[in-house]
Amino acid sequence: MVIGIKNGIKLFGISVVCFCAVFVCTFFLNYYMDALAIDKAVSGDLRTLYDANITSAKFTCAITGGVLCLIAVVMTVFYIKLFIDGNAKRFGILKAMGYSDNKISLSFWVFGLSTFIGAAVGYGAGHAIMPLIYREMTIDGMPAITISYHVELLVALVIAPTILFSAFACLYAKLSLRRNVVSMIKGGKATAKSKLRPSSKQRPFLVEMCLSTLAGKKSVVFFVAFACFCYSAMLQMGLTMSDLSSVIMGVMILVIGAVLGVTALFMAITTAINANKSSIAVMKAFGYSAKERAVALLAGYVPFAILGFALGTVYQHVLMTVMVNVVFADVKSVATYRFGIGYFFITLGTFVMLYACAMAVYAVRINKVPIKEIMSNE
Amino acid sequence: MITATDLCKEFNGGAVKALRGVSLNIERGSFVAIIGASGSGKSTLMNVMSGLERADSGSVVACGQDLSAMTDKQLTEFRREYVGFVFQQYYLLPHLSVEKNVRLGADLAGNKDYIREIEAVGLVDKLKAMPSALSGGEQQRVCIARALAKKPQILFLDEPTGALDESTGRSVLDYIAKLKAERGFTMVMVTHNRNIADMANTVVEMNSGKIVSVTDNPAPKSAYEIGW
Repeated sequence: MVIGIKNGIKLFGISVVCFCAVFVCTFFLNYYMDALAIDKAVSGDLRTLYDANITSAKFTCAITGGVLCLIAVVMTVFYIKLFIDGNAKRFGILKAMGYSDNKISLSFWVFGLSTFIGAAVGYGAGHAIMPLIYREMTIDGMPAITISYHVELLVALVIAPTILFSAFACLYAKLSLRRNVVSMIKGGKATAKSKLRPSSKQRPFLVEMCLSTLAGKKSVVFFVAFACFCYSAMLQMGLTMSDLSSVIMGVMILVIGAVLGVTALFMAITTAINANKSSIAVMKAFGYSAKERAVALLAGYVPFAILGFALGTVYQHVLMTVMVNVVFADVKSVATYRFGIGYFFITLGTFVMLYACAMAVYAVRINKVPIKEIMSNE
Repeated sequence: MITATDLCKEFNGGAVKALRGVSLNIERGSFVAIIGASGSGKSTLMNVMSGLERADSGSVVACGQDLSAMTDKQLTEFRREYVGFVFQQYYLLPHLSVEKNVRLGADLAGNKDYIREIEAVGLVDKLKAMPSALSGGEQQRVCIARALAKKPQILFLDEPTGALDESTGRSVLDYIAKLKAERGFTMVMVTHNRNIADMANTVVEMNSGKIVSVTDNPAPKSAYEIGW
């Protein structure tokens, strides 16, 4: 086998994102499908509340499922590209030996296994929490909505995504493997041309290093901003939801936000460090201190982390305003939504602490990058 | 300048004995070539003498400082202050221009006149070029400029022509020799090419983790006089 199964199941980031997406979609879609059974029995004032519940279930599935699905696609592309770059020599040798791009790329189906693991666990967890969610969404006076098992959800949320992601991984790998065999055998990276234009500005080396780290891997910048966006939006939304709808829904959103944020940040910064190991080792060999090395690699992400946090705050405010003032506009029992300044500061405080801790941990990891990365031992 | 005494170094839990009681004295301003077959321990000796890694036992005193007693932080400060490196695989930062790669070394020494180093290796017309746009020889010359821009007292070179063809290799060695003659720094070069050793004042030959001979060369040759 060209790629071992363990390579396919260790994409933790994809598993977490798929877990979150499928977890949320499982109980909301199940609720939506079960609620349709009582559709004709609901009338009068209850109809408004029922419609609002149905709309919010569809709305949440579309937003959460859609966005997270896109993120999982981006992560898959990101991982496969890294994997091919990191194993360019091995794939180059296989191609030289006569393996076709098709044959090699077909073995990338294993990357769909991370999707399967996340989706399967999310599906199971979604079913486990379902009774609690149904209870939370029960409307007084309306016929009871009973939990039914819908096999089509298993197909749509677990089996289909696994097949689609496996197929996508093979296709993307096939496109990525269209490289010159000789350059792949030489390591692939050595001949990679920088797309960056040289700047004529005179800046200290550490500033230049900082900027080039950002420009060299824009996907990492995206994931850092995304991590902070998720954390900011979902924590504030979770805290607000605890007041407006139910504590369980609030806690659930809050936990998903924290897990997604931390996972995406972990994945992004780990990638940045791995991609810059030889640069870090050269700086270490030349005598740059641990602090200087950490600043050169990590400081550039701070503005994007702040931007992600700010966008997350705006996003959750707009979403909550739309949900409460538009979807639930006619429902008298829903309280008025106002921007939670207190929740904003709680989220900001925990965000600053978590980000600082994460950066401190990564500064230690950067310090531990061995100079052996660039030297030979005989 | 550098005194190594009874150095021992093992890898893989003792399965590989890279250095077996190596002692060596390197004079200030000299050019020492360390030669030997692959696996002879020459690169390990250079790494230990330059403070890149520690020996398991023995001592290294370089520029008056005992490296064997230093913490990681102190070793980093030692390298910052005294040492320059040229690596076989260049390790230029791919997203920075020639000028900015050289500033990696220059900024450490507060060297504002680093363009001089780029002029010295004949690349002043490529200041804004990115590494991917340079040939192997040009990339190695940028490495030399980067190492010299930090004004090191000792320059360590690990197979500097190992990835170059003969003509480019000779040209790179010629630049190195001229700059050494001009500036007088101490130079330690690891190479498996015995012909290149003819350029050095002292040739240290290693085999199986031991020094088998130390030969003084009274008449070093130029880069264009040696065989290849």
